[in-house]
Amino acid sequence: MNFVANFSDLKVVGTRPVRPDGIDKVTGKAMFGADLSMAGTLTGKVLRSPHAHARIVSIDASKALALPGVKAVVTAAGDFPEISSEEAAAGESPVNFRHMAHNVLARDKVLYEGHAVAAVAATTSAIADAAMALIDVTYEVLPFVIDVEAAMADGAPILHDDLVPSGMAAPGKPTNIAKRVEFKLGDAEAGLAEADVVVEGRYETTAVHQGYIEPHAVIASVNPDGQTQIFASSQGQFMIRQYVSKILNMDIANIRVTPAEIGGGFGGKTLVYLEPLAVALSRKAGKPVKMVMTRDEVFRSSGPTSGGVMTVKIGAKKDGTITGATIDIALQAGAFPGSPVAPACMCAFACYDLKNVRASGYDVVSNRSKIAAYRAPGAPISSFGVESAMDELATKLGMDALELRQKNAAKAGTKAAYGPVFPEIGFEQVLDAAKSHPHWSAPLGPNQGRGVATGFWFNIGGDSSASVFVNEDGTISVVSGSPDIGGSRASMAMMAAEVLGVPYEKVRPIVGDTAQIGITGMTGGSRVTFATGMATVQAAEKVVDELKKRAAMIWDISPEAVDWKDGEAVPAGANAGGFDPMPLAAIAAKAGKTGGPIGSEVSINAQGAGAGFGAHICDVEVDQETGHVKILRYTAVQDVGKAIHPSYVEGQIQGGAVQGIGWALNEEYLYDKNGRMDNSGFLDYRVPVASDLPMIEAVLVEVPNKRHPFGVRGVGEVPIIPPLAAVANAIKAATGVRMHSLPMSPPKIVAAIESGKG
Amino acid sequence: MPKVSISGSSCRQFIGEQTEFEVEATSFRRLIRELDSRFPGLGEHIDETMAIAIDGEIHQDAYGLQLPADSEIFLIPKIGGG
Amino acid sequence: MPRLSYAAPASVPDAVKLLAGAQGLAKVMSGGTDLLVQLRSGRAKPELIVDTKKIPGMMGIRETADGWVIGAATPSAELSEHAGFSAAYPGVVEGTNLIGSTQVQGRASLAGNLCNASPAADSVPAMIAAGAVAVVVGPTGQRSVPVAQIVTAPGRTSLAKGEFIFEFHFPKVSGKQADAYLRFIPRTEMDIAVVGCGVNLTLDAAGVITAASVVLGAVAPTQVAVDATSIVGSKLDDAALAALDTAARAACNPINDKRGTIEFRTKVAGVLARRAAKIAYDRAGAR
Repeated sequence: MNFVANFSDLKVVGTRPVRPDGIDKVTGKAMFGADLSMAGTLTGKVLRSPHAHARIVSIDASKALALPGVKAVVTAAGDFPEISSEEAAAGESPVNFRHMAHNVLARDKVLYEGHAVAAVAATTSAIADAAMALIDVTYEVLPFVIDVEAAMADGAPILHDDLVPSGMAAPGKPTNIAKRVEFKLGDAEAGLAEADVVVEGRYETTAVHQGYIEPHAVIASVNPDGQTQIFASSQGQFMIRQYVSKILNMDIANIRVTPAEIGGGFGGKTLVYLEPLAVALSRKAGKPVKMVMTRDEVFRSSGPTSGGVMTVKIGAKKDGTITGATIDIALQAGAFPGSPVAPACMCAFACYDLKNVRASGYDVVSNRSKIAAYRAPGAPISSFGVESAMDELATKLGMDALELRQKNAAKAGTKAAYGPVFPEIGFEQVLDAAKSHPHWSAPLGPNQGRGVATGFWFNIGGDSSASVFVNEDGTISVVSGSPDIGGSRASMAMMAAEVLGVPYEKVRPIVGDTAQIGITGMTGGSRVTFATGMATVQAAEKVVDELKKRAAMIWDISPEAVDWKDGEAVPAGANAGGFDPMPLAAIAAKAGKTGGPIGSEVSINAQGAGAGFGAHICDVEVDQETGHVKILRYTAVQDVGKAIHPSYVEGQIQGGAVQGIGWALNEEYLYDKNGRMDNSGFLDYRVPVASDLPMIEAVLVEVPNKRHPFGVRGVGEVPIIPPLAAVANAIKAATGVRMHSLPMSPPKIVAAIESGKG
Repeated sequence: MPKVSISGSSCRQFIGEQTEFEVEATSFRRLIRELDSRFPGLGEHIDETMAIAIDGEIHQDAYGLQLPADSEIFLIPKIGGG
Repeated sequence: MPRLSYAAPASVPDAVKLLAGAQGLAKVMSGGTDLLVQLRSGRAKPELIVDTKKIPGMMGIRETADGWVIGAATPSAELSEHAGFSAAYPGVVEGTNLIGSTQVQGRASLAGNLCNASPAADSVPAMIAAGAVAVVVGPTGQRSVPVAQIVTAPGRTSLAKGEFIFEFHFPKVSGKQADAYLRFIPRTEMDIAVVGCGVNLTLDAAGVITAASVVLGAVAPTQVAVDATSIVGSKLDDAALAALDTAARAACNPINDKRGTIEFRTKVAGVLARRAAKIAYDRAGAR
């Protein structure tokens, strides 16, 4: 289907129908990962390391196994196959299954407090708890390191003796540095030397958790012949299937994974933790096993995103033209390599048209839980530094902060710092919309300040499958393979309804399990409305072609003589014949006679995803005596391509902004002197509560991505990028102090105000 | 002949400091094979870890992609998301 | 395997008998908003829970000639809904309105908040500043204890085995007397107090402070009284406020923990003392 250039022709796309999953969710009927029960289900629990770093000398589960009610215990040595060091392109980015398996269940060493050491299945939760207390693990405790710079320093405790860093010369001795990346354009140092004004700053962030309201949950049931059912909270049922197959050496065809309704993922559920354990336990016990993480486990043992340190330098001419820019950044990956340092470097300056730029980074392991993706992985971190520095630059130049961005804005034809040239993008339009928004010029009172920051994310396409079926009465069923974390299933129904020309209420979407629909990549990367939407549109188009053929058969004319309009087959012209339009339902009623059931499944690897840009304006009021920051007003402007269902798009923007605000103000991982997380609950891990925030105004700019039939650009990840610096810049404006480290919690603000430096 | 640049330094162990190449290839798959014949092992590395941008449009996992004659090709690290 | 029994006696003697005679750990439950959390986390492992809500007199608010009587198990939400009590003790109600959240306040009680004995309890500083008295019942009968003497250490009270609080008595508010409570937390809700300050002031007709009680929470193992003599005799001018700030900071003996550093708590204690005193002063002046 060609790109629909005229949005005003659209009847369903762009409207705001009621979501199909709404009633189930608000009445409690929706089936989340912990809600399914099967006869004879056992409770599975995980024994976790109390040490931040230790060698596992021995594990003796004999007393636990002797406890009545205990049906199975699994350990890596006893129950998980050895995986040789293997990088496999699986899912969105390369996964090292050896590391993944060792993270799911420790082998030889525990690398963080909370690292899984053994798992137990028992008839009751209380018995499982008692069994865990009876498992004897002997550890040889080792020195640990948490902080990224300490982990890079000489003499740091080494996590992996066999770690050979990529992207740099071999260091010749054991190291915690897993990777070096560098992206360059021109000569950044020469560019900086030409500048009239240079700003330089060091910025630091800590690990923050994705904070999904629903902990990881799974129920798995393995038959003696190997056929396995898994029902789990996840961003990818095919990912679970593949990862379980690799980790436990099982045939993929034997594994059927149903994605449950999900209470948030944000990237944190794009990998496995409990699933291989539940399957291994079920296989051994001969019964279904259900496992649900406690909130404490979610914090300690599931990946937050990285924290890190960076130095940013930006130089410009007096008129604001940036002549050179650099960022040097190191991110913690947690126990195994894989921090998002590459995207952090690629996105850092992506909003700007720069001839001389260098972004260099290190991926560093340390004794904390292995990080997982979190909404635009890496980009919020580097943008915090870059957008703070841009604010400093604007001040030094005496320029309006938005004008400085406009002066250097990336546009179609700009060569990005990471290489490719941008096609048509909407950054200038976003900046214009921000500048002309009443928020930008609204008056401020005492102790109040305003900050602005921008952000970029690539958005991706990838493997997606969708089917469209015509039911006997002409209603439509749409099945797609993408777990719905942002309203995508409603969008699939809307796009199918648009193509078919039928009302949205006649199209019911579901998310298929791995046996019901073709392979589909994970829900993440802001790809679903784009890629799965594209597959859905193509499937709907094929159905339209088939419907036209059937009408032609009924009218006994050539299929070329039939058009499809507003849900009806119509003769293409007067020559075709004087037939009355034939509605879809009428064709459906005769499907059997005209060739059989009408439906189509499409599997694609969607290409041509369009990048997204955002600009956020934030007003704060700072209580200078207590450091308390109040967010007074927040406006998030973003180029969304085309909003299929604007309420969902606004919701994604508001949600990302809120997570970014929490990241900026109060969220952090705190460790005690033994390397154990000190604040593993929502009482002391402080995400914003509803009363903390004003209404977030989402402004949708639509510069369509013509590669998608409706112009869709991914939207879910961009909104978490600008808030960190937007809030920091607002605090600077309100107090005169530049904060260089996150979170900007009250004690740090008070200390900064008192000393004059953040 | 498309001009190919490799971003990111993850390929350093195969290609050293050089980052720009002229490669005789009309499809992404041919490109990978050509590069692999010049730098053994690079092909698999690109296959598994890199995405391709053709005149600015990023593609991941697309052997059949046609490379226009004078296109500017960038190989960049594959992008995941959250 | 753990054993747990639950009883809901209908009289004080029955409750006392159960508590005094318990073999293992017995816990009193009014709203249960602390107890249930502790049960789930494994922090408390009682063998007996005695629910006091069915005992006549444990629920309800009434005005008497001497002041106010509040049943120990009364949900704190009822305090803010009670126009008379809210008008008499806006500071105490400000404190109870901050316990947990709206949902928690539907159950949380003054006795529970007090006897949980957290240094950061939100209802306690204003109760102490108000001169509230707890009526304690137990095996040896009934006794009246100033609220300030109930908490002895974090998690510990001066109640003996078998004892529990039956009701609270608040003195009658007359003339130009009013209270206020302020708390510092990083968010707007759901946080444990980093510092809490309750102030109760009495003014004469000219607006001069004749009596002052300033109590801090979360800055020491138990609530601490601030030496407020520096503001008595003043009209709470800048000099008096500065002196109060200093006195508040001097009364602090906080710990460094994930909720606040010593330095930060001490500084904010001074800030809140000043601000709460101003609010109480304005309220008293308006009476």
